[in-house]
Amino acid sequence: MEEELYVVGKRVPRTDSIYKVTGAAEYTADIKLPNMLIAKVLRSPYPHAKIVNIDISKAKRVPGVKAVITGKDGYGVKWGVFKYTQDHMMLPIDKVRYVGEDIAACAAIDEETAQEAIELIKVDYEPLEPVFDPEEAMKDGAPLIHEGYPRNINIHVHIEVGDVDKAFKEAHYVREDKFRAQGEAYAMLEPYACVAYYKNGYLDLWMPNAGPHVRAKALSNLLKIPLNRIRVRHVFIGGAFGGRSEVAPADFIVSLLSIKTERPVKLVMSREENAISSRQVHDVVARIKTGVKKDGTIVARDYEVIYDGGAYSSTGPIAASVPFYVYEECYRMANVRYHGYRVYTNKGIRGMYGCHGRAFLAGCEAQLDLIAKELGLDPIEIRLKNGLRAGEETATGSKIISCGLQETIEEATKKVDFKNKWKKATRLKGVGMGCVAIMCGFPMGFRSGSSCSVKFNDDGQATIITAIVDNGQGNESMAIQIASEVLGIPMEDINIINADTEATSLDPGAYSQAATFVGANAVKRACEDARRQIAEIAREKLSCEIKDIVIKERMVFSRKNPENKIPISWIVREAFLRGKPIIGVGSYFPNIDLKREWVSKPFGQMAGSFSYGTSVAELTVDENTGKIKVHKFIAAHDCGRPINPMAVEGQLEGGIMQAGIAAIMEGNIWHNGFLMNPDLLEYKIPTAKDMPDIETVLVTTMDPEGPFGAKEGGLTIRMSAYSAIASAFYNATGRLFKELPLTPDKVLELLQTEEG
Amino acid sequence: MILPKLDYKKAKSLEEAIEYFEKSNGEAAYFAGGTDLIPRIKLRLRTPSLVIDLKGIEEMVGIKKTDEMYVIGANTTIFELKNSEIIRENLPTLYEACAQTSCEVLQMRGTIGGNILQDTRCLFYNKSLTWRRAKGFCYKMGGNVCHATGGKNVCYANYSSDLATALLSLGSKLVIVGKDGQRKCDFEEILTGKPEKPFNLRQGEIVKEIIIPGGKRQGAFEKIRIRGSIDYPLINGAFTMDSKGGKLVVGAIGSKPCVYSVETIEEERVKILSETVFNDLKPVNNTVVSPVYRKKMGKVIAIKLIEKTKKGA
Repeated sequence: MEEELYVVGKRVPRTDSIYKVTGAAEYTADIKLPNMLIAKVLRSPYPHAKIVNIDISKAKRVPGVKAVITGKDGYGVKWGVFKYTQDHMMLPIDKVRYVGEDIAACAAIDEETAQEAIELIKVDYEPLEPVFDPEEAMKDGAPLIHEGYPRNINIHVHIEVGDVDKAFKEAHYVREDKFRAQGEAYAMLEPYACVAYYKNGYLDLWMPNAGPHVRAKALSNLLKIPLNRIRVRHVFIGGAFGGRSEVAPADFIVSLLSIKTERPVKLVMSREENAISSRQVHDVVARIKTGVKKDGTIVARDYEVIYDGGAYSSTGPIAASVPFYVYEECYRMANVRYHGYRVYTNKGIRGMYGCHGRAFLAGCEAQLDLIAKELGLDPIEIRLKNGLRAGEETATGSKIISCGLQETIEEATKKVDFKNKWKKATRLKGVGMGCVAIMCGFPMGFRSGSSCSVKFNDDGQATIITAIVDNGQGNESMAIQIASEVLGIPMEDINIINADTEATSLDPGAYSQAATFVGANAVKRACEDARRQIAEIAREKLSCEIKDIVIKERMVFSRKNPENKIPISWIVREAFLRGKPIIGVGSYFPNIDLKREWVSKPFGQMAGSFSYGTSVAELTVDENTGKIKVHKFIAAHDCGRPINPMAVEGQLEGGIMQAGIAAIMEGNIWHNGFLMNPDLLEYKIPTAKDMPDIETVLVTTMDPEGPFGAKEGGLTIRMSAYSAIASAFYNATGRLFKELPLTPDKVLELLQTEEG
Repeated sequence: MILPKLDYKKAKSLEEAIEYFEKSNGEAAYFAGGTDLIPRIKLRLRTPSLVIDLKGIEEMVGIKKTDEMYVIGANTTIFELKNSEIIRENLPTLYEACAQTSCEVLQMRGTIGGNILQDTRCLFYNKSLTWRRAKGFCYKMGGNVCHATGGKNVCYANYSSDLATALLSLGSKLVIVGKDGQRKCDFEEILTGKPEKPFNLRQGEIVKEIIIPGGKRQGAFEKIRIRGSIDYPLINGAFTMDSKGGKLVVGAIGSKPCVYSVETIEEERVKILSETVFNDLKPVNNTVVSPVYRKKMGKVIAIKLIEKTKKGA
């Protein structure tokens, strides 16, 4: 029998919304501390050059300048997410590897003074031959960007399951295509900023981040300061989308400046700096070969995906793998070969993205529609036939415990009469769909789990302490909602202390879709522990059995005698009197294979559970101008059970914009290592006028592990919306895309090629 | 990006504005809506020591209609123009150009005078000082190379005013005031065709009003851009027609829109005209789409504009 829920599953206003809409929320750039200094960074004008000398003497003499630093002031530590990817010095001493790379920095009494000083730093460079195209960079004889990485291959992920070559030989139909996608900008509305305050050997930091604990760990290594002396603190965050996951050069620079001056130091990047010198999204080239049986069963897959990794490794192995995994978590793959190459180029530093890998995923899905057509099937049939189901295992050995793929396909396509429309696609008008699955958390070793504690105050109100981070998606509100449900007190009675490394324990952060499935599971367990303690006392007071105890609207009673109620505050006070205050603790560690490794052993359970989603788009193409108009977009997502349907819908809508409509407009443009559109005028984030008619569908599968059955809330649409556009474009024009975004010039060029 | 330190004066009359300018040794910039000027100052593309605000000059605001002409004060905002019944009912070309300029918030700020006097744009030029220093200064910045083409001592920056394209098709004139008094000239005359210095105005001159020949006119405006709002044109076009004939203008490629007199709108003639437009346009790789595409769109726009006007007539 379905348990009765009071708050979970309800459309409640998010706890943070009021602060954001009234402007009360303080972001990093808003922070003002006494005696605070302002930092500026000098950046490389060369894509690739040896640093011969840096002269900071003139800059130091500018009145009001308190510190000037170069790489020599650091500790010579290189950073990388993994031991084998440590290549990023944050302030380089040997050479620069991209235009915009941090070279030196200063802290001064105000921005003008800092800027003046920066301009007086003299750097002698010896330009080196750069390489910008990852396929060029992989050729023998190409300039090497890092030592010890032949052909500039930073990471090579090789996954092989079954007998791929044999399966291709036996396939009824084989198709191979090559797809490209320009890298995107995260384009968070909040440009990167960092405040550091070093005093008495302790370093406090504020910055938009998606995982305070991993950030603190990186800084602990880079600055050689123990973890308990680095405190990454809570602050409102204006968007992350994957781009705030890793430590930023700015964190290191501002910390170093604060250590030198023992004064608070703030750095706020301009929009242009944010685009050029904070993280960017990988450009991708994907070669996709697929073999099928006559009935549409996909029997063989051979993938080669090249990721333009920019100057440093960053999340290298993860970035080179995730597009493949979210696909293998969605479809059965008896025989599959995947080569993922992440390649160094002389471009900006890159990171993971909420919409990562669009060339591969949109390529796979659009090609699938072409194959379906060849076989006389339709996109729905071929996806239902090959889609995984609960109880099955992925190619690399992840067991699926709940799966709503079929429902999302059926629900989403039903809304637009997909089958008929797809078959009768009139000229230049088409429908298309894309499916994907998402892991609820990456394996991160001992960092994969989360814990929470909850304490009650004597007025019956509670505070939850959790490392869950909210970078815009509503995670804080989600955690409070779950606590409210378990504790039987309204959401406004609950305070949250979170995203603070000193107050909270380890947590995977909010960049691997772990916040709900892992973080909130710990919140739920902590609250259940507190509830048990309350119930113990209440049982005595109400003379009833523990199983009959109900806590609702701040009152405790037995379900057998609901008239006899005790306020929860009385119980809390009683607990204080007994010397056992109500303090609940709980933790959750997902079922993952800890021996799994991204490069050396890419097999085993990836995550505790997987969410599923289907995007459907309906569009027309103007044959004269090449402009695509997206008319309708349906997003159906299996998030297990939505904790707050409004918040999940918001995520789906965001995905439609950031991945779907972005597929016809967003892309970074480069010219010899210079980013040509580092602003929001020429980098085309869709406006309200570009948005189609949207419908969202939430499919409930009640995950057996997730808190109240919940899984991650919406990333499947961010990773399938572009596929729907690519497939609909195929349906409308009979042509597969060659490169995303499908801007009108590319569309017109495609329309002039042969169909197929 | 922060503004450099600069002085600010708000003029109450044209005379006062010109006086401020004269005293500045040519280092002042006139400020109307500011939507073009302020970002340029932030990027250090312009470095005036004084900004003279023209918004307080009341005689420069408003739309007047007589049988002979329409007189539009240069300070009239694009939003006011768009919402003016006079414009909407009589000058559809201008109305559509207003509606397709940027977004409503900026339309409320931007003025017709400021819009037509906006500087030319290029993907290599409208960047911060840091970016441009790293790349090396181009011809328009005082260097000697065009980054978009690699050419020496040339510039292909685009004049991106939507209103200008519409106003040229309407045969507009400008009333210009300077220290030596007032003059009137065809709008086309002040366009130099040189992207590095697009306007033929004497130092300190102010465009006071725009004059459009009277009468109800048929016409249309077209703009190609990536997004449905905000974006500058990748190419734009306007066509205006009355009993005497029509004028087709194709703009936003290079610094001076191409203007064509159209005597007849028979299908064959339109086809020939569209080929002429295609051949005349010389786009280069300085926007977010390919130059070939922009060139092709000249033809598409020309045909579409005339067809649309025919239908409307």
